[in-house]
Amino acid sequence: MNDQPIIQIKNLSKFYDSKQVLKNLSIDIFPGQVIGYIGPNGAGKSTTVKILTGLIPEFTGEVIVDGMNLAENPQEIKKLIGYVPENAEIYDVLTPMEYLDFIGKLYGMQEPVLSERVVKLVTAFGLGANINDRMDTFSKGMKQKVLLIAGIINNPKILILDEPLSGLDANAVILVKELITRLSKEGKTIFYCSHMMDVVEKVSDRILLINKGEIIADGTFESLKQNYSDTLEQIFSKLTGREESGVETDAIINAFE
Amino acid sequence: MDKLLLKLVGLLNPLLEKTGVDVMQLHEILRIKLLIDNRRPKAVFTSRKAKSGKVQSSFLANFLIVVMGCVMGALLFISNKPLVGQTLYFSIFMVMMALTLISDFTSVLIDTRDQFIIAPRPVNDRTVAMARFLHITLYITRIALYQGLPGILLIAFIDGLPAIPLFFLQVIEATLLSVLLVNLVYFILIKLVSPQKFKDIINYIQITFSITIFAIYYLVPRLINISTIKNVDVLSHKWTCLLPPVWIASLNEAIFHAGRINFTVIALAVIGLIFPITGIWFVAKVLAPGFNRKLAIVSTADGDSGVTNKTYKTDFRDKLANLVAPDAIENAGFKITWKLAARTREFKMKVFPAFAYVPIYFLYFAFNGKGETIADKYERMQHNTTYIFLIYLTTFVLSSILQNVSQSAKYKSAWVYYTLPIDQPGKILAGMYKAIIVIYFLPYCLIISMAMLFIWGPSTINDVILAFTVSTIYGMLMALFMVKGLPFSKPIMVKAGGGKMIISFVILGLVAALGFGHVFIAKWENVVWLLIIPMLLINWIMFNQYKKQTWDAIELADVD
Repeated sequence: MNDQPIIQIKNLSKFYDSKQVLKNLSIDIFPGQVIGYIGPNGAGKSTTVKILTGLIPEFTGEVIVDGMNLAENPQEIKKLIGYVPENAEIYDVLTPMEYLDFIGKLYGMQEPVLSERVVKLVTAFGLGANINDRMDTFSKGMKQKVLLIAGIINNPKILILDEPLSGLDANAVILVKELITRLSKEGKTIFYCSHMMDVVEKVSDRILLINKGEIIADGTFESLKQNYSDTLEQIFSKLTGREESGVETDAIINAFE
Repeated sequence: MDKLLLKLVGLLNPLLEKTGVDVMQLHEILRIKLLIDNRRPKAVFTSRKAKSGKVQSSFLANFLIVVMGCVMGALLFISNKPLVGQTLYFSIFMVMMALTLISDFTSVLIDTRDQFIIAPRPVNDRTVAMARFLHITLYITRIALYQGLPGILLIAFIDGLPAIPLFFLQVIEATLLSVLLVNLVYFILIKLVSPQKFKDIINYIQITFSITIFAIYYLVPRLINISTIKNVDVLSHKWTCLLPPVWIASLNEAIFHAGRINFTVIALAVIGLIFPITGIWFVAKVLAPGFNRKLAIVSTADGDSGVTNKTYKTDFRDKLANLVAPDAIENAGFKITWKLAARTREFKMKVFPAFAYVPIYFLYFAFNGKGETIADKYERMQHNTTYIFLIYLTTFVLSSILQNVSQSAKYKSAWVYYTLPIDQPGKILAGMYKAIIVIYFLPYCLIISMAMLFIWGPSTINDVILAFTVSTIYGMLMALFMVKGLPFSKPIMVKAGGGKMIISFVILGLVAALGFGHVFIAKWENVVWLLIIPMLLINWIMFNQYKKQTWDAIELADVD
């Protein structure tokens, strides 16, 4: 593992009006790490991701990526990052070929390297037969595959995945999980956000748990297990202060009476 | 066409590069945006007619624009008095442009998906802003050229060949001014109101626009004589100097009719040339920066983090619902129809104009006739039975609601009906029908009747009630034969199929016959009163029939 962190987040804070959603976040992430970034809804997870990907340009604190300051050099940093957004927005009147060609060109990639890579990736993801079909007829899983390809098309150093498995079938899930491991072996850094605790448990070698804008747990799954509980799900619920097990379900059951 | 436009933009590359725009990325974004535009059905001319396939041939849409341009071009021949013809032409030109922009602006030109597709890529803000600006300009130039083409040719017959290049300049001027005005409205709105309200307001602007155009089309020729228009002195009123079309027309006037001009015309022509340029500079420098940020909030939806705890207040309509639809399933049908109808934009867009069309149609027919003054026509109208005609016109509203009530862009949410244990879906339909009548039709009829009482006096009450019962029979027949879908449960349809068209004509014919029968018996007041009873009875029988609809009769849409 490299000594120099690829992503350094120092005292990162973010306000929406008067509400503070990130409270002095400080994280160092090293090359080759697979970070499992988890937290309840509204904890500040997607805000962190949006800041890292340059979608939210206003924040206080410092974010250094590969030695560059995000506030000063957002375009150079974006070139290093691949991003698969959660909400699966896509221009669906285009074909995968057209869409990926467009995304590749925005990264400054040139023909014929680009179109060759697009064809190879699309085929590898099992969409070879649909490469020239418009995506408005695609299933959710097929669109998700195109989004995944768009996220890695520029061979990024850092890959930020926000619920990347949504809509994928079991085989595609295995493919993506294996892909994450392979990419991390190649030295890529992966930032994996999800609510699926079992997947996070398996793919990530470091878990960050955020709650109310603060990191409340940071470590490997093994170390968290020793300190707290047996499964990531239990750790999660313990640390995010869910009420004693049974209280909520009692309330639900009682509602029928 | 697109390739040509892109090449033209390419000519600006050296200049753009100096300002920090990445030309290659700009080219790519524009190319893909134009491609997306071409694969999307155009809104203005197709919304009411064929929304058929996903592939709307843009040729047809463009052709319609050219035809429109020809019709407008005819106005240019009104040229014996200064400014009149050209002012009219450019007024319509600008309204059409603004309408196109407004109906397409939110969805196409401000594509919120950009926030997730383009923003995370290494593209700088200036490139994105420039791409958006050029996209709007190209989009509108394309339409402006088609719309202006007939005018550009026709002007040669009026002012000679040299007028062509000048007219071309005028068309550009009009286009820029339209873009500018629409932009200003948008900038101001988005600064003042919340994103959600913003979309609603745009929706209402669109509705008002389509009503206005409809009204102008039907009423202006009735109320104003063409020959008086020809002799209007545009500059005799001071406020006309504030109208942008007058500025544009002045340019032609100043150059080709130098004999009849004065200082004002020249001044206006100069204003017309300067205003668009300074205006666009103002928009780009002063208003645009905050705009993009606001837009980011709209699309990332983080802006509404301040959750307010709203408690639902039951209003009189809830009580009304419980009163007229006490059955639980009926009540559900009633409320879902009322609430979705009030909150679904495309439903409002299609149905609300119908409310205004009725009085407009009525005035159109009432003031039909030549050689009389408006006062004479009003006098004559007061002493005949045209009012009966007016009440029957309200069926137009009813049919417009019924035709749209079972359709929605988000029809897939209707899966909920199919999974619930509803053994008599007719009850939902019954609730829906009651909601339509009670929430929309009845209040509307009340307003119309009040207007009628005011004009024709209290003796019309029995006619109003009878006509109302006949209208609801019409509604009931429509519902029974045409509306077999649960509220908002079907994809927005192209057109009624052939069989349905025939049925709807038969129903219309029947009601028209009843209406004429009504006019015929209108002089026997007591007969009118008496007839109300059997009509109510027929309504009641049919309504019970409607309520008994089973799942077999309901048209289901594929929900996957």
